[in-house]
Amino acid sequence: MNIKESVIKSDHAMKITGEAVYVADHPTDGMLFGRLLRSSKARARVLDVRLPALPDGYLYADKNDVPGANKVKIVLDDTPVFADGTVEFIGDPIGLLMGPDEDTVNRLLERIEVEYEGLPPVLSIEDSDTVFFDYTYAKGNTDKAFAEADHIFEEEFRTGLQEHAYLETNGLIARPDGGRITVHGSLQCPYYVQGAVANAMGFEPDRVQIKYDTTGGAFGGKEDYPSILAAQAAVAAYKAGKPVRVIFGRREDMEFTSKRHPSKCGYKAAVKDGRVTAMDIDVKYNAGAYTTLSKVVLQRGIICACGVYNIQNLAVRGRAYKTNTVPNGAFRGFGGPQPFFAVEMMMSHIARNLGVEPLAFKERHVAAQGDVTSTGGRFHFPVPILLMIEQVAKACNFREKREAYKNQTGTRRKGIGMSLCYHGAGFTGAGERDLIKAVAKLRKYPDNKVEVLTANTDMGQGLNTTFAKIVANELKIPMHDIIIANPDTDRVPDSGPTVASRSIMVVGELLRRAAVRLREQWADGGEQLVEERFKEPGYVIPFDLEKFQGDAYPTYSWAVNAVELEADTLTGTVKVLGAYGSFDVGTPIDRNIVTGQMEGGTMQGIGFASMERMAVDGSGKIRGNSLSDYIIPTSLDIPNLQCMLYEEEYPEGPYGAKGAGELPAVGAAGAYIEAIEQALGDVRVNHIPFTAEDAIEILHKEPSL
Amino acid sequence: MVSYLPVSLNEALEYRGAGGAIPYGGGTDLMIKGDKDAAYIFLHKVPEMRGIIEDDKYIRIGACCTFTEVAGNPLCPAILREAALQIAAPAIRNLGTIGGNIGNGSPKADSAPVFFAAGAKLRLMSLRAERIIPIKEFYLGRNKLSLEPDELIVEVLMPKHVSSRYYYRKVGAREALAISRVSFAGLMDIKEGRVMHCAVSFGAVSDVIIRRDDIDAMLTGKTVSEAKAVKQAYLNAYNTAITPIRGRVSEKYRKAVCMNLLGDFLAAMGI
Repeated sequence: MNIKESVIKSDHAMKITGEAVYVADHPTDGMLFGRLLRSSKARARVLDVRLPALPDGYLYADKNDVPGANKVKIVLDDTPVFADGTVEFIGDPIGLLMGPDEDTVNRLLERIEVEYEGLPPVLSIEDSDTVFFDYTYAKGNTDKAFAEADHIFEEEFRTGLQEHAYLETNGLIARPDGGRITVHGSLQCPYYVQGAVANAMGFEPDRVQIKYDTTGGAFGGKEDYPSILAAQAAVAAYKAGKPVRVIFGRREDMEFTSKRHPSKCGYKAAVKDGRVTAMDIDVKYNAGAYTTLSKVVLQRGIICACGVYNIQNLAVRGRAYKTNTVPNGAFRGFGGPQPFFAVEMMMSHIARNLGVEPLAFKERHVAAQGDVTSTGGRFHFPVPILLMIEQVAKACNFREKREAYKNQTGTRRKGIGMSLCYHGAGFTGAGERDLIKAVAKLRKYPDNKVEVLTANTDMGQGLNTTFAKIVANELKIPMHDIIIANPDTDRVPDSGPTVASRSIMVVGELLRRAAVRLREQWADGGEQLVEERFKEPGYVIPFDLEKFQGDAYPTYSWAVNAVELEADTLTGTVKVLGAYGSFDVGTPIDRNIVTGQMEGGTMQGIGFASMERMAVDGSGKIRGNSLSDYIIPTSLDIPNLQCMLYEEEYPEGPYGAKGAGELPAVGAAGAYIEAIEQALGDVRVNHIPFTAEDAIEILHKEPSL
Repeated sequence: MVSYLPVSLNEALEYRGAGGAIPYGGGTDLMIKGDKDAAYIFLHKVPEMRGIIEDDKYIRIGACCTFTEVAGNPLCPAILREAALQIAAPAIRNLGTIGGNIGNGSPKADSAPVFFAAGAKLRLMSLRAERIIPIKEFYLGRNKLSLEPDELIVEVLMPKHVSSRYYYRKVGAREALAISRVSFAGLMDIKEGRVMHCAVSFGAVSDVIIRRDDIDAMLTGKTVSEAKAVKQAYLNAYNTAITPIRGRVSEKYRKAVCMNLLGDFLAAMGI
């Protein structure tokens, strides 16, 4: 078997036939339906909660019912399970109402009266005076570089909220069982959820069982959020002594669960002899009301803030601000798409200021193997960006079109743009070594079938297929002899969360090594168990989080995106004529699966740049909480989508594979906006999403009087 | 609740006359409302509402014809077929009906601007009576329709001689499955250098579709060069007449797009 060759996905049949069991498919006999009582104020003291008379079998749970800590264990523990005296954003959960009939629960919920003492909400980075996290790091001597510069350029870039828009909304079921509690449902990271539930229940982790149900998409939206919901559902179920199911409707999910952090990035660049010699970068993220994952999102964001370029002198500061809006969390790219948009536009604008073509200018600055990274680590492996640029340029005739689309008139104007990016593969810094310490197992049964035991979840990205391929390949047995059941913390070791584009690179390699060992000791008809543990590769320069020094990632995945489009000057609408990409994820463990990931991520990246707009009004309420208001691209919006793979094998990953899932969502925005700028006549764009309204405003097309 | 499945127009009108049940074409709007307590009259088996036929004055389009049927029927004028093909996505077009699109009462209905520009009429029936009214008289205001509680929209009557030169644009937030932010339909007949007929309409801009015969009359009967001379006055008149409401996009954007499209329509017609 060639590991790259595509196979039918192992979840194909069960999803096509409808046999796959999602959380909402579990029978509801004897179960209570739960609904969260949510704050209607963005910032307030809760003075009183007055319940209507509850019929028999209907119960309300709040902070007083939390047997353990009223804190959700994520990175820090500032997120309460249920509001304790104050509410910090519209939707902040105050309590949970549950009962046997869903409609009755909904009606009763409407009748709960909450008395607030309102406080003025803080809704923007500018207005915030609470900085959750503040990091700085430096490289070289920026003061000297700025003093000696021929030119200094300064700009600011903004990005907006982005919603994950997974098909299946967040939802969990909690079941009390004697002295234990089980929570199952739609989630990415069973052991994160176990930790959060144990903390809220005051239980040892072995009294908490977390089971994964087939999950319909996540994109990071089920990384941190299920920890919060699971704690709430578990507390409620424990109080009721019955199973409690909490499954969000689309509007509830869109309005009150995590999103991508809005950002404001200030860039100041020194140019000497036609080269950028220094950058002073100030990254600001809107974290929302609680810290959740902002600490690590911000770390990744500032590490990649100088893009794929070798900038000799760097001063980087990053801050995450508290606002009274929904807490922002993990989202494919995890802090990367915001600064990559900013740095790509900054480099493009500097080039234009200097009168040179942006692509040629960028090419001169691209880092190479052996170069020092932003944090004083090394690019240990080849950096194939320049070769990938040629691959993309050839596919779309980039340079010819870039030239041809200058100085257009008429109502349809074309533009083409290109952006370069990387995604650090796996956890930032020493997380994998110090915190996760992944363990994976293979269990061989007497019938010679082999079960994969990991905590990693297949939420649509094809992990059950690619894991099975790796193990079958090493054992030289058919894929249908590999068993992968839905992860259950009672049965699987903690191989770490399904995040950070780490699953194939880290856990896949553990499985490969386990399979090699099992093959060597294979005993027909016997039962055998093989276990593998993570070891950090020897070449890694240890990362110091205090100083932001060392290898932030063991390796990098690389991408080049190009977007060609046509803007309609009458309506401001934009037609994407082509989106092209070259993606180096190392060896693809299944070309179809990887290409599908690259296509979906590219569309998500273009949506982020263009139509995906989520506004927050003056009261702190999210507007556009439905899929008819929050617009995401469909296949008709990007019909010509060409994703190519460039394979730079990574020696520490299985068969050369490295991180894949997030990469395509990181860079597309820069290419899209560079194309927009050209189409609209060499304008400057410093924010995304850039909508049709923005285009009309730029074109100053007053009514043609 | 009891719902009904009539198989003739008379039967449908009886159920409608009895009150309480909601007429249901393709259900693409009603399904979203998902009212568990509602009763419906399912109209898709009423033959009198399913045909597209031609008589001496009109193309008669049954209210329960789907957008897919309209788009594929050569009797329907090209502008209507083009508008129908830009609605939502194939699955919605296979279910959604012309009558439902109009009866839903939204100024964002994608077929409505075409019917306004073409001067279409509606055939409304109850057990008591039959009315044929211009579509402009059907829309009274925001969610207000000239439809009695016992009446059904039975047919849309499209005048047979709709100008072959037309201009249609739907502006949505994406290429498919998008609610209109602005829609525009324009028809113009120019014979021997003279504007014989001009009609434009703007959808999704105001509480009802904007259609102004009085302004369009400024161009009617004029030679092309005379029309060019009054073009600015014509545009000024619409600039005053169009007062967009705020919604998913700003008033300013809607206004700018309306005026851009109107100007482009005239340019495309040689004026």
